[in-house]
Amino acid sequence: MGPLTEAARGALAARMADVVGRAHVVSEPSELLVYECDGLTHGRTRPALVVLPGSTAEVAEVVKAARAAGAPIVPRGAGTGLSGGARPVPGCVVVSLARMTRILGVDLENGTVRVEPGVINLDVTRAVAGAGWYYAPDPSSQGVCTIGGNVAENSGGAHCLKYGFTTNHVLAARLVLDDGLVLDVGGTAADAPGYDLLAPLVGSEGMLGIVTEVTLRLLRKPETTRTFLAIFPSSDEAGDAVSQIIAAGILPAAIEMMDSLAIQAAKAATGLDWPEDCALLLMDADGPAPEVEHVHRRASEIARACGARAVQVPRDEAERQLMWKGRKSAFAAVGRISPNYLVEDGVIPRSEIASVLREIGRLAAEAGLRVANVFHAGDGNLHPLVLYDARNPGEEERAAHLGGDILRLCIRVGGSITGEHGVGAEKAAYMAEQFTPEDLDTMMKVRCAFDGGALFNPGKVFPTPRLCGEKPGPYEPHPVERAGLAERW
Amino acid sequence: MSAPRPGSGADGILGVEPRLVFEPAGEAEAREAMQACARDRLRVAFVGGGTDLGLGNPPSGLDAVIRTGRMARVLEHAPHDQIVRVEAGITLSALQAALLPHRQRLALDPPFPARATAGGLLCANGFGPLRTARGSARDLVIGATFIRADGVLAHGGGKVVKNVAGFDLPRLLFGSLGTLGLVTSVNFRLHPLPEEEATLAFPGLSPAAVRGLVGDMRQAQLEPAAVAAIWAGGSLDLLVRFEGFGPGVSGQVERLLAVAGKARASGGRLAPPQAAAAWARQQTAREVGPFRARLAIPPASLEVGTRALGTLLAALPGGAAVWYPTLGLGFAGGAPSGAEAVATAAGDARGALATSGGWLAVNDAPPEVRARLDAWGPAPATLALQRRLKAQLDPEGRLAPGRFVGGI
Repeated sequence: MGPLTEAARGALAARMADVVGRAHVVSEPSELLVYECDGLTHGRTRPALVVLPGSTAEVAEVVKAARAAGAPIVPRGAGTGLSGGARPVPGCVVVSLARMTRILGVDLENGTVRVEPGVINLDVTRAVAGAGWYYAPDPSSQGVCTIGGNVAENSGGAHCLKYGFTTNHVLAARLVLDDGLVLDVGGTAADAPGYDLLAPLVGSEGMLGIVTEVTLRLLRKPETTRTFLAIFPSSDEAGDAVSQIIAAGILPAAIEMMDSLAIQAAKAATGLDWPEDCALLLMDADGPAPEVEHVHRRASEIARACGARAVQVPRDEAERQLMWKGRKSAFAAVGRISPNYLVEDGVIPRSEIASVLREIGRLAAEAGLRVANVFHAGDGNLHPLVLYDARNPGEEERAAHLGGDILRLCIRVGGSITGEHGVGAEKAAYMAEQFTPEDLDTMMKVRCAFDGGALFNPGKVFPTPRLCGEKPGPYEPHPVERAGLAERW
Repeated sequence: MSAPRPGSGADGILGVEPRLVFEPAGEAEAREAMQACARDRLRVAFVGGGTDLGLGNPPSGLDAVIRTGRMARVLEHAPHDQIVRVEAGITLSALQAALLPHRQRLALDPPFPARATAGGLLCANGFGPLRTARGSARDLVIGATFIRADGVLAHGGGKVVKNVAGFDLPRLLFGSLGTLGLVTSVNFRLHPLPEEEATLAFPGLSPAAVRGLVGDMRQAQLEPAAVAAIWAGGSLDLLVRFEGFGPGVSGQVERLLAVAGKARASGGRLAPPQAAAAWARQQTAREVGPFRARLAIPPASLEVGTRALGTLLAALPGGAAVWYPTLGLGFAGGAPSGAEAVATAAGDARGALATSGGWLAVNDAPPEVRARLDAWGPAPATLALQRRLKAQLDPEGRLAPGRFVGGI
């Protein structure tokens, strides 16, 4: 599929306007600007059109029209993704789900909620909080990111270690396929016979179809949450404390770590009175009160035994919220101590935290750059923030190079190039370092089962995109083909 | 590679006997076996502990069977990271025994633990009442290696608990019954063994009372690890287990007794030997045959589910059943009073469940019942997509042909 001619673009815009209404088609170059990238702002491509359907039926018609015109589709939620997963490709139609924001039904008897994909993550919890329920996955962007985007990226957050990711909380989805067919996948009754189609769908980064409705699992709010902030001389002791706490059989609701540079940034942004030149652990324990009190006490003792200089317990909910604000604002806060920065997302085995942080420090020193570390320590999900100044010639390239070295380090110690931000456009090249060509070929086959024509979000995730049925290396007819039983398509 | 041996009746799957049986001793041999099957275009099925061979329809034909019993090693256990990488043929009991010195476990408690294998737990969805707190194999799997029909080895996931790189192949294998590939190794997330546990029993409750008490428990923000309601001739014996640290467990026990008292459900904490016997009883209820079925319904429609159990048990005199109220899943089994009677009962139960969004699948049945009852029920609306998925990974349809949903 090549880029559309201007005339074809106009015709497609008119066709789309017939489907969704003129007001919901964006075609003016100036208005298309905001859709050129997602939360990863350094790669930009202008789409041919942006269409904002308001219903499943409209999405299905939009898909058919784009396909008929030979235009690829890039689905988009709130555009907060950090891997370029919603970055347009030349000549594409961006299908924004931003208008589909209805909460369709809450069923507390079964602990479920049915929502449209444009619903904001936090609004799900807001809708049921009064009754004492919540939606567990809580990416740091939960105040703005959408459920549709969360499903595409299999989003996580601070509470994954105990509560799992989006994939553990999606019970059903309504899916529009490449031919406009609408399918319901999964259900409120568990384990429906057949393949678990939700498994590849959640985390497929918009490459299998467009999700237009999602049924989510809700959880009853825990009776109690206790929080502490432990201050360690360095990341070594803090990393050790994380391992010891978990080895003691404790499953924290969240256990977050910040190094000295990240603390400096968070302080600058929030005015929190945190010490510097140290490493912080922020831990939540939640559940029934007697269990939580016990866990909270044990974990504080372990933190002290591992060398914590102090263990602070918030006096009230407001102070607790402030501590969490310091953590959750850390990404943005880094802007206060550096003109530019890259947000990385990698995973390592939890027991390697201290050694990996030392190695990141060494790599940073070699590159002549600073790296702030803020991460979900319980599951080894690092977010190294590589600080640089784009005004200095060559520094941006050095930062990108350092980011790549950190990802390779994650792979080398047995981890992953992404724990929650997704592969998107940004990390596709690294997939070939984490997976074999055969692994990638197998994933591609799954893609081909859903979307044989590579209509949805082409060019993402896979390092070397191929057409369905195309084999890597020299062409070799399959025995079935030779026997005349099938042909490639 | 060790040469395949000739198949015998004991190697058959639902009466379909293979010509050849491969028993690879590791991934390399398993791959050679799969490549041999690909080269000779053999229809092949995979057998672990054989606990769920009755699940689904008989294969439409079978040339070979690959047994995973000789692939039974723990490949890597990282106690600090609470993960384990095992060969597919290791039994759950053997794995738990290897983890015990580290006071860890794989948090799955299906029937037949001495025979159920890691590969089977993933591909046949082996679970028990602990699923309430810890989820199923789908929630605990973090990586898998498998060999495709064309003999190609593929990995998905990894060794870390959090990982979103690439499509989720390990979860795609969940419940796929060996129709997408031969799983050679599985990586699981582990949990610490609880310091303390306590079981409470509330015998003789009506289904409505069980639903009420489970709802009250949730309202009281109690967090049980396991919940099961054992069928006791129309009424249900409810079991609830708490796990955790001492103070948390005893605190929750007291709270549940108070909640139950208010709901006028009488019961109490069981001493450890009685608790073990009670949980063994729910497990036995899932092991009786020769007819066994699994049932599902959205959890709040519990009475629809337990009525379906009753419908089935009327045709299984002396049979047994258990319902998991927090999961909306149940099992019934026993000896049919007659093939026609049990097939009709299962059809009726299936219909009743379907009207509430549920389903019934046959876990095992004698041939004369199978002749009258489809193992899976009506084809799902997603069947065409499921077939395309199968065709991508097994284009010749050689892996356990016909056993899965819709004749896949």
